[in-house]
Amino acid sequence: MTTPPDPLRILHADMDAFYAAIEQRDRPELRGKPVIVGSAERRGVVATASYEARRFGVRSAMPGVVARRLCPQGIFVAPRLAHYGAVSRAVMAILHRYTPLVEPLSLDEAFLDVAGSQALFGAAPAIARRIQDDVVRELGLTVSIGVATSKFVAKVASDLRKPRGLVVVPPGGERAFLAGLPLRCLWGAGKVMVARLEAHGLRTIGDVQALAPAALRALVGEAMGEHFHRLAMGDDPRAVEPEHEAKSVSAETTFAHDLSARADHDGVLLALSEEVGRRLRAEGLRGATVRIKVRHPDFTTFTRQRRLGEATHDDLTILHTATALLHRAVPDGQPLRLLGVGVTELVRSAGPRQQSLFSPAEARSERALAAMDRIRARFGPGAIRHGGTGDVRGAHEE
Amino acid sequence: MKILCDRQQVQEAFAIVASIVPLKTPKPILQHVLLRAGKDSVTLFATDLEISASVTLESVKVQQPGTLLLPARETASLLRELSDATVSIENKDLRTTIESKEGSFILLGDDPEQFPREATVNSEKKVVVPAGAVLDMLRRTAFASAREETRYAVPGALLEVKDESLRMVATDGRRLAFNYRHLGGSVPAARALVPLRALQALGRAIPEGTDQPLEILFSGNQIGFRFGRTLLIGRLLEQPFPDYEAVIPKAADTSVELDRAALEANLRKVSVLCNSEVRMVRFAFSSANLALSAENSQVGRADVVMDADVKGAGGTLGFNPDYVLDAIKSSDLDTIRIDLTDDAAPAKFTLGETYTYVLMPISGS
Repeated sequence: MTTPPDPLRILHADMDAFYAAIEQRDRPELRGKPVIVGSAERRGVVATASYEARRFGVRSAMPGVVARRLCPQGIFVAPRLAHYGAVSRAVMAILHRYTPLVEPLSLDEAFLDVAGSQALFGAAPAIARRIQDDVVRELGLTVSIGVATSKFVAKVASDLRKPRGLVVVPPGGERAFLAGLPLRCLWGAGKVMVARLEAHGLRTIGDVQALAPAALRALVGEAMGEHFHRLAMGDDPRAVEPEHEAKSVSAETTFAHDLSARADHDGVLLALSEEVGRRLRAEGLRGATVRIKVRHPDFTTFTRQRRLGEATHDDLTILHTATALLHRAVPDGQPLRLLGVGVTELVRSAGPRQQSLFSPAEARSERALAAMDRIRARFGPGAIRHGGTGDVRGAHEE
Repeated sequence: MKILCDRQQVQEAFAIVASIVPLKTPKPILQHVLLRAGKDSVTLFATDLEISASVTLESVKVQQPGTLLLPARETASLLRELSDATVSIENKDLRTTIESKEGSFILLGDDPEQFPREATVNSEKKVVVPAGAVLDMLRRTAFASAREETRYAVPGALLEVKDESLRMVATDGRRLAFNYRHLGGSVPAARALVPLRALQALGRAIPEGTDQPLEILFSGNQIGFRFGRTLLIGRLLEQPFPDYEAVIPKAADTSVELDRAALEANLRKVSVLCNSEVRMVRFAFSSANLALSAENSQVGRADVVMDADVKGAGGTLGFNPDYVLDAIKSSDLDTIRIDLTDDAAPAKFTLGETYTYVLMPISGS
């Protein structure tokens, strides 16, 4: 005799103010103080703010100068990404004690499916409490967890009572739970979409629930209408996918004004290639295919890609390929609305590798890239660039 | 225009010219071959704007001079399928009729006025070598050129006249193939980075075992190859070519001599069980033998031991077996020599008196 699995099986675990909490844990003098991990430099951004700093309105991704203005007494701390990565692995190891079905979303959050673990460890809310206790006891950090029947509801729930919150949405309670929440909680609803819905008098997810599906589809289009209707009802069939590895790393930017000059296009590609290369290296990945994405002012969009002989995480190799693809596809003087650079066919950097005949040069280049990454981690992404990166930020700030 | 010609001759010439016609191009007119009949000769010409090929036909009877464009692929196939000794080619406006006893075939062409002009090349700086020797050099180097573009990879080969010899070098950044031929006499220095596609076209134009001469024409940013009635002209690659002489090791910790055919046979066997992601065979050199091994955790493992004359320290290195096979296949020595140091240094394969191959190992855990 088998009992059907409890539908309450999905956990979303989200570390509280992860980077800032690690700094406060490691440096007792920072405890109870407004800590801002990031850079106050002109172009630096806030990576994470402690809860003390958030009271002043400091938020992640905010320019450092704004954070400084809001919270002059804030203590700025340079990020130590490698260290946070090590702590993240310890967090993920704790999650793996309770189920093999762990899907990390980033360094500080993950989904878990505990359907198969309940016989061993008890019901999902009990597992969530055990995880919270383990994390505090072993790592000196706190984690908020949402428990629900689907990924979407669990994720919304984990964010509701931070820090160290535990929110359980029982099966059948999803609609009532979501009804009072603002539209921006809907997965996929950006600023533009929220504004469009608000223009039609909708304020909460409850308003979306009350709307006939056909009316919603008429408002936001077939696919999005269907998507939002299902989410609002708490219906999210996505499974937890363990060992979820990124399939591509990409960066793109929409220009404030269409850019026509090849020199401008090339400058954007360089900035994007640097970004993609930096993220590949941070994740310990290399990719064997480079892809560009091009959008014309009339929104027609196309991609071009080329396979490399060997997987790379080198900015200049990515750039060289992206530039060649763009020049073949787009003449000088062609106005463009958006450019993107991506790398796919990712492989882990570890393991045996075919060495290069010109390795002294390549080894130097690897060392230079590692140094650039350290400088960017400390002073922000604009702190150091490859030669030839024009100052295109003003032109393509999103 | 109307000509009568020997079918086999026109078919062979057409095949050489049509081989450089691009499969995909934004300019569909380039998928044609131009046929120009002068008073007593006929020239076939095709180009993809980077490489062009022309062949002049003899034993042609020109009944009426003129110029026309033929669709390359269809015409090449048709000429291959016909078996008559002679064919007649005649056009009316853009329609061309090819006629033999076997039937009559109408091909719709395009306006020859819109076709690129026939390329020309300056023949002042010229080297003359036996075409068969160049074909051998091509086989020993072209495989090492890059199929994709990366920073140190060159999708072509360096052709260099230096120290009274003609040198051909290709590298994809992981391996480098170098071979040369002594020219003798005083020849002016010259250097050209020839795209792989031009080299492949040259390889197709030179028949096996020929003793005819090949003229190599160094002309600014172009290179010309004249062989009999065929002229190939290629635009040169403009990227820098790495300092190949610096990459060829001058000293080594270990020197190995071994039987070429045995190594080839053993490598083929062992490489069956390579890991599919990183193809690697381990070469473990001890005093009197070479142990080859490969392992694929999902499929299995291969171990083969073969005789080898090892001088020096010995040691274990990983190589991509395909890269080794590519090179030793084109060696005509019975015994080859490998000089190596460690997994961070290139290994040097001596595969002929004038043929050297340099390969980087695979390393890292």
